[in-house]
Amino acid sequence: MLYTPLILLLSAGCHRSDRIVVGSKNFTESDLLGEIVAQQIERRTSLPVERRFHLGGTFVCHQAITAGQIDLYVEYTGTAYTAVLKLSPGPDPYSVYRAVAAEYQRRFGLVWGRPLGFDNTFAITVRGADAARYGLKRISDLARVAPRWHAGFGYEFLERADGFRGLAGVYGLRFASPPTAMDLGLTYRALAEGKVDVIAGNATDGQIAALDLVALEDDRHYFPPYQAAAVTRAQVLEAHPEVRRALAELEGRIPDAEMRRLNALADVEHRDIVVIARDWLRVNAP
Amino acid sequence: MSVLAFYARNSQEALGLVWQHVSLVAISTGAAILIGVPLGIALTRRPAWRGPVLGLANVFQTVPSLALFGFLIPLPFLGGIGARTAIVALVLYALLPIVRNTYTGIAGVDPAVREAGRGMGMTDGQLLRLVELPLSLGVILAGVRVATVVGVGTATIAAAIGAGGLGVYIFRGVATVDNTLILAGALPAALMAIAADGLLGLAERRLAWRRT
Repeated sequence: MLYTPLILLLSAGCHRSDRIVVGSKNFTESDLLGEIVAQQIERRTSLPVERRFHLGGTFVCHQAITAGQIDLYVEYTGTAYTAVLKLSPGPDPYSVYRAVAAEYQRRFGLVWGRPLGFDNTFAITVRGADAARYGLKRISDLARVAPRWHAGFGYEFLERADGFRGLAGVYGLRFASPPTAMDLGLTYRALAEGKVDVIAGNATDGQIAALDLVALEDDRHYFPPYQAAAVTRAQVLEAHPEVRRALAELEGRIPDAEMRRLNALADVEHRDIVVIARDWLRVNAP
Repeated sequence: MSVLAFYARNSQEALGLVWQHVSLVAISTGAAILIGVPLGIALTRRPAWRGPVLGLANVFQTVPSLALFGFLIPLPFLGGIGARTAIVALVLYALLPIVRNTYTGIAGVDPAVREAGRGMGMTDGQLLRLVELPLSLGVILAGVRVATVVGVGTATIAAAIGAGGLGVYIFRGVATVDNTLILAGALPAALMAIAADGLLGLAERRLAWRRT
């Protein structure tokens, strides 16, 4: 958060149209997807690619791309819909992609590619031992034990229109105390150490399996879809149609299980994301 | 201005967060003084410890706060989630300027003055209380001033571990792409830092003035 202005400052003044600047948000999956997209453009075009990875979240990426400091990054439909466009989840969550694509084009001159395949929804997550002891499979099972439990959530989840407040209403969740607001990355640690009993992670996170945690099923379909897709400045696609063709090869190619596997390679096995991306591209976009 | 409108609508919550923030800074800086000043004095008596102790304080400065929290969560007593963990981290960050300035201040006392004290038959404790501490108070206070001003800014990270403070608005604002919220947290923190700097600067000047 402190380095936001710094990054914008550093990248200012050296912007040119013959170089593609790829951004990513500050978590593993976003870095991985940024690297896959960057390598794909390098393989398929003669354009030099510059990486500006691990930017401080949706806010910084959105500011950077609308200011022209980055040319593309991978965003999630549900996030764009609620956090950027500030729309509340509608009755038909499956129109989210169409609404987001149209609004981004109109308001920001940004083009959404087709989704990459997986849906990284919020995952209401508990310890595996608790899930077995209390027979928890779905979020609606949680209502029984919630009055004795403590929750720890990231700020994004607590604040968003599609976050905790709506969830508590839909599933009738009442915890022993108001949820503790904390950094998302620290919630996994707090859950594994028994400091809280339930958190909201991301469905494709590698830690869920690694820390022996269980993600509960959203049986009342509360969360909107969070399909990932590349968001690119329209100007860039006009000047370089080859970028659009390169990105199109990735569309629909990463299903849920595949994204979880890639995240686990990075987070659990600590493999280099450059290598993970190169290996994945070699097999899936030969 | 939208920030002012925001405060008008959320005055209760905003005041609560400001109070939490002040408490976090006051408690952590206070604890850092209680630990850091004696530690700095000890270093002047045991010069061999200087390298390792200041080195360790330096290392704490460079550990990113989220990493530090990650290490602290599993610890009994000092760790967990909430204000205690945040204060432990803030104390670790505040130690360096206080320890270093205490050591520098006392080590910088003119040896001739110290000898004169000894010549008058002062014990080690009297020498410290009546000669060394009064003469180095300005330098020590300057260290406290740096620690406090930096602490006001650093305390925003307490919000990452459920300890509240003005960082709550900053984290919320960053999470929801909302400039007004970020400013609602950052502006009072900046004002608080300026106020703390001014007040402690005033104390420093009065001290200097009294001595001349």
